[in-house]
Amino acid sequence: MYDDDDKLMEAASALVAKGIRVKDVFSPFPVHGIDPIIGVKRTRLGIVAFMFATTGTTLALLGMWYFMISDWPMNIGGKPSFSLIENLPAFIPVTFEFSVLCGAHGMAITYLLRNGTLPGMPATNPDPRTTDDKFVIEITTEQNALSAAEMETAIKETQLFELSIKDYE
Amino acid sequence: MANTKRYWSGLDELQETEAFKTIQEQEFPGAQSVDEFLTDDRLESTHTGRRDFLKFMGFSLTAATLVACETPVIKSIPYTNKPEEITPGVANHYASTYYDGQDYVNVLVKTREGRPIFVKSNAQTGVGRVNARVNASVLSLYDSARLTAPQVDGADSDWATVDQRVSTAMAKEGRKVLLTNTVLSPSLKRAIATTGLEHVQYDAIDYSAFVKASEMNFGVATFPSFKFDAATAIVTIGADFLGTFGDSVYYAENWAKNRKPENGSMSRMHAFETNMSLTGSNSDYRTMVKPSEQGKVATALLQAITGQGGSSSLPEAVQAAVASAAQDLKKAGSKGLVLAGSNELDVQRVVNAINSALGSVGTTVTYDGTDLFKGSAGAVQSLTADMQNGGIEMLIIADCNPAYDAPDADKFVAALAKVNTTVSTSMFNDETASRCSIIAPTHHWLESWGDLAIDRYRIDLVQPTISPLHASRGWGESLLTWTGNAVDWYTFVRQTHASDYTSEAMYTNADWNKSVHNGFLGWNEQVPETPAYRSEGVADAVGRLNSQVGGTFELALYQKTTMGAGQHAANPMLQETPDPLTKVTWDNYVTMSHADVDAMGLNGFIGQEKPASVVKVTLNGASLELPVFPMPGQAPGTIGIALGYGRGANGETIGKAAFQTGENGSFLTDSEGQMVPVGKNVHPWMNVSQGMSHTHQFDVQVESTGGEYALACTQIQNTFMGRDSIVKETDFTSFFAERNADKGEASWNKVIKLAVHEDVNGDGIINAQDAKPAEAFDLWHEHAVENVGHRWGMAIDLTTCTGCSACVTACHIENNVPVVGKDEVRRHRDMHWMRIDRFFASDYSLERGEEEGESVIGTYRKMEDPSGNPQTVHMPMMCQHCNHAPCETVCPVAATTHSNEGLNQMTYNRCIGTRYCANNCPYKVRRFNWFNYPGYKKFANFNPAQDSLMRMVLNPDVTVRSRGVMEKCSMCVQRLQAGKLEAKKVGAPLVDGSVVTACAEACPTHAITFGDLNDTKSSARLTSENNRAYHALEEVGVKPNIFYMTKVRNVEPTQA
Amino acid sequence: MQKEAAIREPLILGDKSYKDITDDVVGPIEGPAPIGWKIMITISSIVAVYGVGSILYLLGTGIGVWGLNKTVGWAWDITNFVWWVGIGHAGTLISAVLLLFRQKWRMAINRSAEAMTIFAVIMAAIFPGIHMGRIWVSYWVLPLPNQFGSLWVNFNSPLLWDVFAISTYFSVSLVFWYIGLIPDFATIRDRMTKPLSKKIYGLLSFGWSGRAKHWNRFEEVSLVLAGIATPLVFSVHSIVSMDFATSIVPGWHTTIFPPYFVSGAVFSGFAMVQTLLLIMRKGMKLENYIHVKHVEYMNIVIIVTGSIVGVAYLTELFISWYSGVEYESYAFINRFSGPYSWAYWIMMTCNVISPQLFWFKKIRRSLIATFVLSIVVNIGMWFERYVIIVTSVHRDYDPSSWGEFHPTSVDVGVFIGTLGIFFTLFLGFARFFPVLALNELKTILKSSGENFKKKQANH
Repeated sequence: MYDDDDKLMEAASALVAKGIRVKDVFSPFPVHGIDPIIGVKRTRLGIVAFMFATTGTTLALLGMWYFMISDWPMNIGGKPSFSLIENLPAFIPVTFEFSVLCGAHGMAITYLLRNGTLPGMPATNPDPRTTDDKFVIEITTEQNALSAAEMETAIKETQLFELSIKDYE
Repeated sequence: MANTKRYWSGLDELQETEAFKTIQEQEFPGAQSVDEFLTDDRLESTHTGRRDFLKFMGFSLTAATLVACETPVIKSIPYTNKPEEITPGVANHYASTYYDGQDYVNVLVKTREGRPIFVKSNAQTGVGRVNARVNASVLSLYDSARLTAPQVDGADSDWATVDQRVSTAMAKEGRKVLLTNTVLSPSLKRAIATTGLEHVQYDAIDYSAFVKASEMNFGVATFPSFKFDAATAIVTIGADFLGTFGDSVYYAENWAKNRKPENGSMSRMHAFETNMSLTGSNSDYRTMVKPSEQGKVATALLQAITGQGGSSSLPEAVQAAVASAAQDLKKAGSKGLVLAGSNELDVQRVVNAINSALGSVGTTVTYDGTDLFKGSAGAVQSLTADMQNGGIEMLIIADCNPAYDAPDADKFVAALAKVNTTVSTSMFNDETASRCSIIAPTHHWLESWGDLAIDRYRIDLVQPTISPLHASRGWGESLLTWTGNAVDWYTFVRQTHASDYTSEAMYTNADWNKSVHNGFLGWNEQVPETPAYRSEGVADAVGRLNSQVGGTFELALYQKTTMGAGQHAANPMLQETPDPLTKVTWDNYVTMSHADVDAMGLNGFIGQEKPASVVKVTLNGASLELPVFPMPGQAPGTIGIALGYGRGANGETIGKAAFQTGENGSFLTDSEGQMVPVGKNVHPWMNVSQGMSHTHQFDVQVESTGGEYALACTQIQNTFMGRDSIVKETDFTSFFAERNADKGEASWNKVIKLAVHEDVNGDGIINAQDAKPAEAFDLWHEHAVENVGHRWGMAIDLTTCTGCSACVTACHIENNVPVVGKDEVRRHRDMHWMRIDRFFASDYSLERGEEEGESVIGTYRKMEDPSGNPQTVHMPMMCQHCNHAPCETVCPVAATTHSNEGLNQMTYNRCIGTRYCANNCPYKVRRFNWFNYPGYKKFANFNPAQDSLMRMVLNPDVTVRSRGVMEKCSMCVQRLQAGKLEAKKVGAPLVDGSVVTACAEACPTHAITFGDLNDTKSSARLTSENNRAYHALEEVGVKPNIFYMTKVRNVEPTQA
Repeated sequence: MQKEAAIREPLILGDKSYKDITDDVVGPIEGPAPIGWKIMITISSIVAVYGVGSILYLLGTGIGVWGLNKTVGWAWDITNFVWWVGIGHAGTLISAVLLLFRQKWRMAINRSAEAMTIFAVIMAAIFPGIHMGRIWVSYWVLPLPNQFGSLWVNFNSPLLWDVFAISTYFSVSLVFWYIGLIPDFATIRDRMTKPLSKKIYGLLSFGWSGRAKHWNRFEEVSLVLAGIATPLVFSVHSIVSMDFATSIVPGWHTTIFPPYFVSGAVFSGFAMVQTLLLIMRKGMKLENYIHVKHVEYMNIVIIVTGSIVGVAYLTELFISWYSGVEYESYAFINRFSGPYSWAYWIMMTCNVISPQLFWFKKIRRSLIATFVLSIVVNIGMWFERYVIIVTSVHRDYDPSSWGEFHPTSVDVGVFIGTLGIFFTLFLGFARFFPVLALNELKTILKSSGENFKKKQANH
């Protein structure tokens, strides 16, 4: 556990240099630049959002075509209800809004699901202080070739604030 | 094979045990009495646990809730055996005749399931059209204030008692008098003759001077008949013949015949009047004169034409006007017509002199014995005197209300107490009836048989359209009963016309049945002989008139087109129909010229929250406090007050709508807790002299009280701000010059063009001259409207529209338009689907503003003020059924859409009430249901839909709209559908004119032409192609289906 | 870690560590409610109740209890609607647009600004509902197959566009706001000692534990949502403006409405943010996080948008004259000289003149002046909508129907009521929610914190 993001960074890089695989990092705020060091890949949520948005667009256009042109065409103020393209100008606002709606919500929901952050989920951070001002590097022996002792020394070399060793069978 | 199976409902039945048999015998096991049940000691042992209790509670609560959710169901009872002439859902029409002592019309009464719901003119007779008053009179049938039984000494009674009382009184010695309005019914006359009663007639509005004058000058004691269609020059001196004067219902249509510019000629109309009247507002030249000057105008005309008029002191302006009028009259010669509204004998004599000098007697004015207005104020006066000194044993007051509208009514009331037996036949416990010892309520005209003869050419029939609602009895029949004549009224009427008639022949006489069907009996055309003129006493009349002088303020009493002389005071629809000129509803008031208003420092503008100032008008001692309406065209130094208001001043039960209600809908009460009537009664201020009563007072005092009073106007902006794409008008000369121009080419009806950024006229430069017609601009490829089935449309001729408001009431009744009362109207929430915009001309215009270097702001400000004596335009305005309707586009739920018949449809039950459509309507014709009019307490006292009886007048073909939805003119779609069904049944295409909207049907001057614009031969289509036809606000590009016809005034171009 | 030029004014004052930030923000939540807060919430909730009363009366009796009439079909209802939506825009703009522009100063204010957005949009949403004649069938604006056969809604209607715009806007802002809140709720959760509140915040925080991967996604989501919300916020008020722009009423039918309304919205929104923050910063002692610099930045935005609005007004006038259309030109002449000119001139003074005072640095940086002017601006913006709506319809094409509008007590009651509800909600937020974005502040502590800047200076 560290009490400053800079120390955390240095420590992380040092450990990784030693070939220690960092399982995870807990921090009270996004520490920029930590991801590549501990090997977290860039998220693909953006693409998800785009996919949802395009779905929205299609749905909106299809819907309006069905409502206004196909299912029950009406003479409203003499406006053309003969084909989608003629009537399109009036449909643009709703199309846009609906795309945004789907995009935003679709993405948000995916995000929460992937995180597993949902109402009633238990907190999994090892130490409550990590949401305040402390930073934790989580290292497990399973994932590492090095023995616990070696790792401990390695960690001790960093500007450590606190070290807790839990073993759970 | 027969079915031998046997079904049993339990083993008991199968084995037929004793227990089962006993149960089977007594189908209903003996009910245990409540005490028995309660005293049963085993009751103690039984118990309901808390949980059960809660269960039951919960269940019953839910049940109750669910039940409460259900919308109320109004049960309708079907016919047990159907009358063969009635098909539920299909209207029957019956010919009848309307006469209330003032208006006389042949009508068709529309009934649904036996309920009369609509009155329209009977086209078959070809003469006379309904006006607003006749039209709305159907409501009075259902007035819940009507007497349900005869009354004796103020208590409900029965006919036996009444007949017994009256017959004994009849048997007594002494003068027994029958007081009525002018009686036109041959049968009634006959009945009266049989009774041997002394018969006194009077009319609420006295015309005896006319009759007297014709007697003196032509030897026939009759009210003159005017033939406006034959006249090329009409000069009216204060006679509002289009609104309320004489037989106005007939005059209006008659006058319009010669006001169609397409004929190549139009009559020219000069009006000299004090108040701005309907007639004045439709005249070509209008001159403001004081009441004291009206006589002088007559003499001046006489002077100009015959040189016998002597010299009088008239203002230059008036003299000039008289001169031009005289010129036109001379030009017209025998086709000239002069009439004066004043009931002064002298005036009428002079008028007769002028007409005979013109030679128009026999052509434009005839004396062929119409029976109208035989009443005489003098007769009532002498009767009153006799009553006062106890000379009258018995007085039967039939079908009139002298205590309210007789000359010197207060004297009459006092004298009434001196009469031993007083009988009234009023339908209501009104001013007169409430003071009579016996009330023998007569039928409503829609409930009674009868006959009427206005002249000797024709006898019109009155037939009942519904069996009497209450224990009433026609007063003719009552008279017969009281004189021991046992014949029933129907037989009596028949016998009047066929003495050999017996009740056996009731249904057999084909001629009679035909007559009843047509509404009139026999018709013998005769050429009236022209009586010789005797210039009796004209000279001294001239002298007297020329010496008339008035005080600082002169008073001219008048009748409102909507209210008449007061018979209709309790009719909510008429109360709410705005006065055609002032657009004020639910009140009478003092009309005063802007000049005087400013001089006295009174409010010159009446707005929603800007009340009118109250003045105190004093006439020899008596005084009234009334609000002041600043009236353009009111002669300075004069005031006008409408008659026919202030009914039920002592809280008589004459109908709820006659009394004022407050903002919460409850009746307003004065300090004594008395209900406050609508308006003030000025009948006592009629000027009674030499046995004639007329409407002029030459000297009244007017002083400001500093008080204020809210008036409810439906239109608060008086001018049309120079927006000539709304109103187009021209003068006859210019019209005639270009009468054959193509549509859109004539200078007075140019198609509206909008500038474009391309070189249209090909002059190489792009400027304001490069313009295209409005309809060339279209953003999209529109729905086809031409030649696809029907396309309903209208053409409204502004030239012949007089603004009489018959269409407004017709629409009101036909479409169940709610009556919303004074407070809501003041808040600018009147619900009229059909309204008549009244525009006064302003002295000011943008052009003049530029010339005078006035700022634009200032110019517009000035343009809001009408001129002192403005020209007037009456413009009927209803939904224009635009093909590019802006209201349709903006409705989020598609509650208003376009039908494939060109209608702009309003789907009430889809409407969610955003009011966006109303905002987006350039004509502002959409009306929103601000409250639950058929249910909310605020409207309980005047909205017909809230009166258990008056609800009967609602048209079952039209939904009563619920709260929170938008409504508007549907072009009487219910009639269109019915018409199409008829056409379908006969399997022929719909004939032009077979369906017509309520407004078009009611229009007395045929100004509204309705029809199918896709039918190339329909009159509507042809009119719409006329070169006078235009679309209001054409440049907005909403492509309406309603056309307006440029207004043509028969004035000299210089004055146009 | 980004470095920043030392000359830039620090955004976080005082010698702050990460811990301090947490304490400063979360502290108030743990402590007892301050007396001032109690007073304010009492007042605002009383007003709110009055408003609810007026609304119930309205729904029970009918739209007639308002001052509307056959000529003026919309007045205070839609005025309030547009006003509230406009106010809402600042929040999204601050959090989304400024995020895209990497404006760090936004971090101190975006949380509460977003909260304001949410509440303002709720207030706005009330009006389209209650202005309907038949609110009980308001769901008909949704494209639902219904008992009248599959009768669909009319997608040509700007009002329907509104339905979609407003609902989208509301829900998206809500999501945006909440996703930002989750980590901070976690912080509170982990500090809380009382089991109940720990449970509650535990629920609210969705079990957030600040893993690197999550932070990574978190930032992506914030970025993308910001990217979506930016065009959204512009589209929403453009669509609101189309309610008028696509109509044919002279004075409404104006093509410049979309940009004009949007800038107007930002204008009023920032003013409201100022009003709220200046109160909150005092009440919750956040001077170190929300200080003059922030206020000044916002005032600059107010000058800019205010001037845009001013230009729009003048453009309208010019075009109405240039168009040569009688009705258009009269509509605008009537605006500044007609019966409602007083409203027009209030609008002009409050919206065009008053913000120009911010050109003076003194005024710009004076909290009192800012507070006063922010309120003035909001009054002005309310009148802008009133002028546009009422003066246009009360005298449109047909002079025979020219009318007046006179508000009733219910009109006033409903409007005041929404103010009450709004402040009640906001005070609730200020009491129980992290009013600053902790996690974001912490990221900028080192780049923009005063103490760290000093250190840099010393090197």
